[in-house]
Amino acid sequence: MSDSTQNSTVRPTGVSFSMVLPWLIAGAFLLVMPFVFTSNSAITIMNQMAITIIFALSYNMLLGQAGMLSFGHAVYMGVGGFMCVHIMNYVEDYSIPLPLPLLPLFGGLFGLGLATIIGSFSTRRAGTVFAMISLGIGELIAACSIIIVAFFGGEEGISGDRTMSLPFFGNEFLQQIDVYYLISFWVMLSALLMYLFSRTPIGRMANAVRDNPERAEFLGYSARWVRYYSFCAAGFFAGIAGGLFAISYEFLTAENLGLLLSGEILLITFMGGVGFFFGPIIGAIVFTLLQTVLSLQTELWQLYVGGLFVATVMFFPGGLAGVLMMHVPAFRLGNAKMLIVPYIKTLIPAAIGILAASGFVEIMFYSRHAPVGEAEMVLFWTDIDTSSMIPWSVTIGLALICFWITKRNAPDLVETWHRANAIDGGDA
Amino acid sequence: MEFFLVNLIDGLVYGLLLFMLSAGLTLIFSMMGVLNFAHASFYMLGAYFAYEISTYMGFWMGLLLAPVIVGIAGAGVERYGLRRVHQYGHVPELIFTFGLAFLIEEFVKFIWGNNLVPYREPAILDFALFSIGNNNIAAYKVFMIFVSISIFLSLLYILTRTRVGMVIQAALSYPRTVENLGHNVPMVFMGVFGVGTALAGLAGVIAGPQLSTFPGMAILLGSIVFVTIVIGGLGSLWGALVASLLIGWMTTFAASSSFQFADILLALGLEKPVEMSESALRDLWTLTLPQIGPILPYMLMVFILVVRPYGLFGKRDS
Amino acid sequence: MTAAALELNGLRKSFGKTEIIRGVDLSIAPGERHAIIGPNGAGKSTLFNLITGRFPTSGGKISLHGHDIVGKAPFEINRMGLSRSFQITNIFPKMSVFENVRCSLLWSKGYKYSFWTMVSKSQELTDAADAILEQINLTARRELPAGVLSYAEQRALEIGITMAGGADVIMLDEPTAGMSHSETDYIVDLIRKVTENKTLIMVEHDMGVVFGLADYISVLVYGEIIATGRPEEVRADPKVQEAYLGAALEEDH
Repeated sequence: MSDSTQNSTVRPTGVSFSMVLPWLIAGAFLLVMPFVFTSNSAITIMNQMAITIIFALSYNMLLGQAGMLSFGHAVYMGVGGFMCVHIMNYVEDYSIPLPLPLLPLFGGLFGLGLATIIGSFSTRRAGTVFAMISLGIGELIAACSIIIVAFFGGEEGISGDRTMSLPFFGNEFLQQIDVYYLISFWVMLSALLMYLFSRTPIGRMANAVRDNPERAEFLGYSARWVRYYSFCAAGFFAGIAGGLFAISYEFLTAENLGLLLSGEILLITFMGGVGFFFGPIIGAIVFTLLQTVLSLQTELWQLYVGGLFVATVMFFPGGLAGVLMMHVPAFRLGNAKMLIVPYIKTLIPAAIGILAASGFVEIMFYSRHAPVGEAEMVLFWTDIDTSSMIPWSVTIGLALICFWITKRNAPDLVETWHRANAIDGGDA
Repeated sequence: MEFFLVNLIDGLVYGLLLFMLSAGLTLIFSMMGVLNFAHASFYMLGAYFAYEISTYMGFWMGLLLAPVIVGIAGAGVERYGLRRVHQYGHVPELIFTFGLAFLIEEFVKFIWGNNLVPYREPAILDFALFSIGNNNIAAYKVFMIFVSISIFLSLLYILTRTRVGMVIQAALSYPRTVENLGHNVPMVFMGVFGVGTALAGLAGVIAGPQLSTFPGMAILLGSIVFVTIVIGGLGSLWGALVASLLIGWMTTFAASSSFQFADILLALGLEKPVEMSESALRDLWTLTLPQIGPILPYMLMVFILVVRPYGLFGKRDS
Repeated sequence: MTAAALELNGLRKSFGKTEIIRGVDLSIAPGERHAIIGPNGAGKSTLFNLITGRFPTSGGKISLHGHDIVGKAPFEINRMGLSRSFQITNIFPKMSVFENVRCSLLWSKGYKYSFWTMVSKSQELTDAADAILEQINLTARRELPAGVLSYAEQRALEIGITMAGGADVIMLDEPTAGMSHSETDYIVDLIRKVTENKTLIMVEHDMGVVFGLADYISVLVYGEIIATGRPEEVRADPKVQEAYLGAALEEDH
């Protein structure tokens, strides 16, 4: 999975090993994971992760590849999912011989169908106008879900039973692990197809339209149609993600269509990095982990994630993938080792500083919202008394000291960074 | 008639409230090309700040101070956040304000918790000013109308009669020229952003007691405000006014009407099914106008976009 | 008799009340190299934008190889065989140089909006793109993002993109603007090389470039063409001397 903006070093000599290798590794990884993490809850988290990966990749077909910012992408996933639950119920009621692994395809088709309708007027323009229309459509359909009870099931949502479909080679998908392999198959397939899509003429022109729609028009391509096709493709893959969601959770509610989910996928994709194909994959994995781990530890996890997101937009617009790929030149030049010590000197104090600052925030939160008279809380596995000044001053003091150290060591890191990326290496 | 008048007043209150938000939003958009996703979050901050101030110094100090604080916060966001993101383009700017909206909501929950805060209108305005039929019209509502209209008039005065207003007006139509004329455009941007957010804050201060102050109030109004300026035409102040009032009255009248869609179906000669759960049209039979009231603005937006992609009063392409 | 490559009849354009193009008639034969010159603000770039569909016209006719193109979108005009460059460099800055050229080849090679072929699988496409890179001397820069190229290299890439699609009418808007002497010579050679057997229409300020490249010259002053002809005829035309050329020619000699 190479950089989406700079491929083409590969000569057209068919499929080379270096191109296939990342996919083989990813496949092997998916196969092995359930043997490492065997618990049911771990598998549920991995399923969630995999569905999010497809959804985020499909979102990046819009944002990263075609430069369209959508605030309503959850709609296509949701409608695909709702359709799949309905199909599951039909399969159950009328004993239709449909094997479950084919179901996501129908989700995809309905996502595609909705996208062809909405896209016909929403892709006329890009940028802010497209973003606003996507928001309006998203809100409209989410609000409709409360009203159109027959299809969306109102406030309660709708549910189905995946085990009633035609057994697939004897498998009835009773266990989470069966579902895991079904989802893994679709993740590999969808990711591969989306990757290949970015390599087709339309995928390449999507990049061109993103960078300079006017120039693309003077090359014979209508920017609007390029956007429209990208939009439809993104709707298709979002629908597949919805189908998998329906299989995994067996029920959907209005939440699956809402602005919250649409915003979340923007956040995931952007933090992962929109400039690279694998960015959204990293985003989906990291975010799902953050969500599960942090939300167990603190009520404030969304505050932290929000802060992280704003910081990403301001300082690392390339996201995590961008930060990782920044290091490639240094590795190529063989100078990566130079960076280790400065990194340790800045990142470790920074990390401690952030932890201390979050500790301070936690204490503040607790003392503001705790019942009157209670002053004992657990912070970083330590019992502390919020009525005394000690925990307050320790956390804020530690944070300030660590940030000061970070700030003092940062210029050194910057300088080393420049040396590591200079062609003449460390001699300068 | 009574019903009509009462709804007219309620719709006016809501519409003018929307206008105070959409005016700032559309001003910021026309000048800077930035659609401030966090605009409604500043409205929420206004309500919360006013609540906090009112617990120490009473409602009137809140009314005075909270918008100023919100405006300063807004100017700070422009200076230290947006200006930095500006170099990456408009889409990252929009993503930044989206992140900000998220962050502000979490911040509000952090400080004031997840529940309603008891932010009330001042006792002096807590009485029924007059009544139409059996419906009492609260003095506070009239106060809200009064504040909104005076804001609208002073905005109109500033934009059309003062030098600053001239610069802003010129910047609306010819942003590049104004830049070339040597006006300190970054300063103007910061000012407009500050004033726009202060306006949103003021709307929050006066709306808080009426519509209740809770962490979801930004999202609740936020998308409607966007819809408003899309319908009115991005960048058009008059469009914002017309669309705000239109949406205000539309949703208010829809919410209080007793119209049922079953009547249409009966008029069309359809027969009401005996077993409702078997009918594919069961949602249409039970649907009432108040139910679809909240989605009317969105439907109007889609309709407008299909027939008039630039909105009611929009001219300039973004 | 074959139709003119490009023909303008009474072409007009107003912005508000100001008329910028005031009835331009011009006929350019296939294979001709035609330069449009004129003082600043004469409407040269506007004329280009009207012909290529970037601005809507206010009146008059434009035909390309005998087909009316008024009111058509830029991409439709491009598909009919007209390609243009821009005065301000207009490339895809984040994509690699090779990718820039390849994208400009896609439509003419018949790929359209296809999503079932891989671009890197097509030897024909890669070879054609490499051939163009060779022509515009950017083979060494193949993998760099276009945005990091030097100004002259970006101008060369702009010309490469413009002619890559195989259009037979090429319009260049000030191809040498802002260049040093040596860079200008390089670009002029390049233009001569890549527009062989094609119709070339260019706006240019540098009289050396104009007289070196053009078969015919039209002089545009205040939205009207006051003279058209062979370079030596235009040079001798008293109207042109008066309106515009005098000073420039003295400088030139």
